[in-house]
Amino acid sequence: MRTVVGLAILAFQLAMIVYARFVPSRYFCWAPYDVQTEYWITTVVNGRKLTAREVQARYRRPQHGTDNRSPQHVMDILQGYEEKYGWSDHAEVTMRYRVNGKGERVWQLGAR
Amino acid sequence: MAVGSAVNVQENSAPVGWRRWNPLRCSGLELPTNLVIMVKAIAIALLLTRHFLLLPDPFLPFIPGMDLIPGAWFQRSMQVLMVGGAFALLFNVRIRLSSFLIGMSLLLSVVASKAYYGNNKTFCGLMLVLAALHQPGRSPWILRLQLAVVYFGAGLNKVLDPDWRSGIFMHNWAANRLHQPAFLALEPLLPPLVLAKLMGWFTIVTELALSVLLLLRPLYPVAIWLSILLHSGMLLFTGSTFTLFFYGMTAAMLAFVDWPSEPMTVIYDGDCGFCNNARRFFERLDLEKAFRWERSQAGGLDRFGITPAMVRERAYLVAAGRVHGGFRAFRAMLLYNPAVYLLTYIVLAVPGQRDSSFRNVLVAILLVLVSPLFTPIGEALYRVLARNRHRLAADSHCVR
Repeated sequence: MRTVVGLAILAFQLAMIVYARFVPSRYFCWAPYDVQTEYWITTVVNGRKLTAREVQARYRRPQHGTDNRSPQHVMDILQGYEEKYGWSDHAEVTMRYRVNGKGERVWQLGAR
Repeated sequence: MAVGSAVNVQENSAPVGWRRWNPLRCSGLELPTNLVIMVKAIAIALLLTRHFLLLPDPFLPFIPGMDLIPGAWFQRSMQVLMVGGAFALLFNVRIRLSSFLIGMSLLLSVVASKAYYGNNKTFCGLMLVLAALHQPGRSPWILRLQLAVVYFGAGLNKVLDPDWRSGIFMHNWAANRLHQPAFLALEPLLPPLVLAKLMGWFTIVTELALSVLLLLRPLYPVAIWLSILLHSGMLLFTGSTFTLFFYGMTAAMLAFVDWPSEPMTVIYDGDCGFCNNARRFFERLDLEKAFRWERSQAGGLDRFGITPAMVRERAYLVAAGRVHGGFRAFRAMLLYNPAVYLLTYIVLAVPGQRDSSFRNVLVAILLVLVSPLFTPIGEALYRVLARNRHRLAADSHCVR
């Protein structure tokens, strides 16, 4: 039984390593510090831009920070929050980000 | 050290009385000595870095529905599991269960919160849980496979990433994020991105090589050294332990060490005052009573292939069928002493989560002292001490 559990845990990880080849996220596939994503988050709720402290409290991420993994991880948090917890706010979220210091990109969520 | 040798890993006799609760005690318990050291080292890191304060309430969980659990209740429960489990583990109470509970507190917290998710926490949680699942009398092959999977995933992710292959990631990280002085000084001396590319490919090749080396028993010593150098190098380069990664990965190397199941024999010159002082010192450190000191004058050295004349020059350690002499003997005595590892992790983790120059310097010193490259220097120092030992102890009858 112990062996089965241990092998199942390893098999899950190998499956996630393969799965990571087809998606932008990198969960449970052992990709630590593989990407430096510098980002800036702007969230507008009811026409008011949230402060840095409000952004931190909302997403548990600083308004301006660096994530040491795929930018998709930050996007998942922003989108996940707005769809699951903050859906009634109809927030407009903009994330500017740079991957490994390269050109700035913009990701947006919500109506403009 | 008898790394990877065919030693039957058995627990030593169980400790009794107050010794049972001694946190520095690692043998005669539910798990093999090397795994007890490993899980205790991780527990020490969790406590001293106060990682339990970072445990989250459910937030965008990977497993749907986990955020229906009352947040404060979940968070407190995980904190109690972690802290309670860590103290129970350190005081040798239900080692296997304690390890499992600490590991689960980490893994449940990881899957409960995307904001908390991190490879270092996942890794430490897995090592604790897999250690708890270890089957007595067998080698910890699942733990060893786990390490191989980690390095395989890490190396594969990097080699498939254009920014790693080109050096862009390493340049941005070292120059723009870390402002690493050595990197900034060396980079202009080479064509653009060459240094970053070299460092990136070194990391990729090392990780992929480790994923193979860690599967080949005869190459365990090489793999252990390579892994420790990799993670110590990252610590020294960045100044960061990457939260729990440094502690977890270095401690995990103990899963590849076959710890001697029989008491180890130290053969020394019993007429030497300095040698007797050294014996008393090391016996005080030997909480497990794992070393049996034999005077060369008692005879019976033939069975080890050692002569009295040899012992007049240096002391010897016989462990797991191998004979170590001089500096190597004393280094092996330290490396086979669980208390040394635990005290080392305590000192390393005391600065907490913040970067620490003290920790960096200590790691650098330890790397030098334990590395094979230091052995000739250590042997030379040992010879100087041995030649002059008659001056170092008043009651010495040492033969010069």
